[in-house]
Amino acid sequence: MSTEDRDIKPALGTRGEPGSWTAAEPGAPVELARPDFGDARWSYLYKSRDTDYAAAESPPDLVAEANRRMRGAPVSQVNGPFIHPPVWSGMVATYFWFGGMASGSAFVALACDVAGDHRSAAIARKVALGGVAPAPLLLIADLGRPERFLNMLRIFKPRSPMNTGAWCLVAFSGSGALAVGCDLIGRPKAARALGALTSLFGSYLGSYTGVLLACTAVPLWSGSRTILGPAFVATATATGAAATRLVLVASGLPGGHPTRRALGTIETASMLTELSISAVGERRLGDVAKALGHGRPGLYFRAAKTLVALGLSLRLLSRRTGPREHELASFLYLAAGLLFRFAWVSAGKASAEDDEVVAAMARDRRGPHDGPRRPWQRRALSVRRSPLPMPPALHRAYGEAVRRTSLVIERLVRR
Amino acid sequence: MSTSAPPTEIGIHRAGAQRMGFFTDTSVCIGCKACEVACKQWNDLPADGSQSGPGVSYDHTGDLSASTWRHVRFIELLEPSPQLREEAERALTDGAGGHLPAIPAAGGVDISEGMHKLGDWVFMSDVCRHCTNAGCLDACPTGALIRTEHQTVVLQPDVCNGCGYCVPACPFGVVGRDDIDGRAGKCTLCYDRLEDGLEPACAKSCPTDSIQFGPLEELVDIASRRVAELHQRGIEGAYLYGAGDGPDEQLAGGLGSFFLLTEPPERYGLPAHADSPVQENVVPATVAAVAAGLLASAGAVVAFAVAARRSRGTRGARTW
Repeated sequence: MSTEDRDIKPALGTRGEPGSWTAAEPGAPVELARPDFGDARWSYLYKSRDTDYAAAESPPDLVAEANRRMRGAPVSQVNGPFIHPPVWSGMVATYFWFGGMASGSAFVALACDVAGDHRSAAIARKVALGGVAPAPLLLIADLGRPERFLNMLRIFKPRSPMNTGAWCLVAFSGSGALAVGCDLIGRPKAARALGALTSLFGSYLGSYTGVLLACTAVPLWSGSRTILGPAFVATATATGAAATRLVLVASGLPGGHPTRRALGTIETASMLTELSISAVGERRLGDVAKALGHGRPGLYFRAAKTLVALGLSLRLLSRRTGPREHELASFLYLAAGLLFRFAWVSAGKASAEDDEVVAAMARDRRGPHDGPRRPWQRRALSVRRSPLPMPPALHRAYGEAVRRTSLVIERLVRR
Repeated sequence: MSTSAPPTEIGIHRAGAQRMGFFTDTSVCIGCKACEVACKQWNDLPADGSQSGPGVSYDHTGDLSASTWRHVRFIELLEPSPQLREEAERALTDGAGGHLPAIPAAGGVDISEGMHKLGDWVFMSDVCRHCTNAGCLDACPTGALIRTEHQTVVLQPDVCNGCGYCVPACPFGVVGRDDIDGRAGKCTLCYDRLEDGLEPACAKSCPTDSIQFGPLEELVDIASRRVAELHQRGIEGAYLYGAGDGPDEQLAGGLGSFFLLTEPPERYGLPAHADSPVQENVVPATVAAVAAGLLASAGAVVAFAVAARRSRGTRGARTW
């Protein structure tokens, strides 16, 4: 539906402005209002017990028992839709890629400094700043109301990963820009210290995106809550190292330099880590992971794996040939990183639209009262939301603690 | 059963305010959609077209969205309950004991076989749950979603920047983001009407009182008695979705608007268990993610150290 098809004339006042309505008598109650929501009370046809709508007295455990029985009852027919798929566009996946590349470059900058290659470290810091530069633009462009992007920073809310991520993006870009500034004005020590700080922020910037996806009702994402962050960090490190490596080569770092070799090792190791984490996740998730294997997300995922395999074989091959293959492999890793991001984000949409998977995921946190499993439930047996068996009371206390802690911090920050 | 949210989360304070909610009794819903229309009218929500096709019945709306805050789900049950089948059989053979005219045998058509294929139909007027552990409220990065003095969850449209995080964070598929408007939208339990002492528009318009509004504790009491009444009448499948559970079985900590249902929840597109995804996942996910981030930086440092050592070795230069 487009703007033309929709009648957006407001019932009262003009569009985009608050409806102007003034009471005939200031402070007077609305005409139909009764004290204590009395207008709702008269419509309780059944409340005065003049009908037999709710005539029976309910024994204490009747309702709880009925709820338990019916919520555990076998179901042959599942009628969706259950949850709404995420509304994020490809810009969010692209942002994940850029943000990851920036944090990976920040890790590399720190490592270069520790190893004593300060020239490469300065370049890596510039790559980190360049990588994070498009990130806010992509995030803002994906908002429904881009002009209100600063509302993200109107509060600090530790329990919302998107809020903490926005703050981390600010901190990372700020310290990254300062570090590059110190490099430019010739303050190497300050630049190194700020670079280390940037890499600390980077360890959250590159991984919070996984937390962000895990904190949703989407079965694929929430089911892989402990693997999304590590998998995203691995991709971030690989793409960051690849981007830094390419820039260093272009800036004339001689062949055979230990930094080049180290970066190559980091790329390959992190891509292999990402592949193995994904494989473990797919196994653990069982049928929930089928969103990663079918349709467009499946295509992205397979293409990413193919590119990684190609890159790996180029690396092995180039022991005998020249350095060009190493550069090509870095490009392949960068492309594979982007495809991994798109695969995970688009697979979330597919997973949320799969009603049977959503229903089975909700059923799997089952107690002993549940009835026999139907085939559609059995398929997702491997899904356990919590890898640690927690007694329900502890589970409740934990959820409460998350909220309370966040609220306390929110309040402290406000003061 | 605790139905009160921790007081710290409430953003608006008013002395004597109670937790208000909806009790939606699907056993008396006739699927008239008066609630949908009243909601659209009062909240000035735009029309969003009509869906039709096989299996969607007379639903036409399809789903809750940013511009649909009440939605009557039309659910066709392909397997009728044994009770319904028995009733139909009786109507066919003896006119249900003389209450109905007996259906005469039609030439060439086996009606009793058709009876076995008979489906059933249930309606459910779906709405925001105003959960105690609200996933959308936990996820919202701008603070646009707040908890009011009635312990309902309300989205402030002048703060929302349309990030869309509340959409997948809702375990019930309530919140939506509007493509044209750009902001998220959901039921406010008619916060503006409540401020003026009026009941919400949908509850006001419901002709069968399937939607009841009031203090949550009173509603739970009525609903429990209604369940007992239905059980007495032989409808053993009646139960409450979101209220009256034991402390360990609550849905999202207890729902501010709950339902009386007669079929397993999945038939209505409701999850059998749900909680705020943020409260469930944020701590383990963050621990794993940050640990991995720190490990990755450490790994990079190690890779450099190994490479430096190796190149020194190949060049034969020994510095230590």
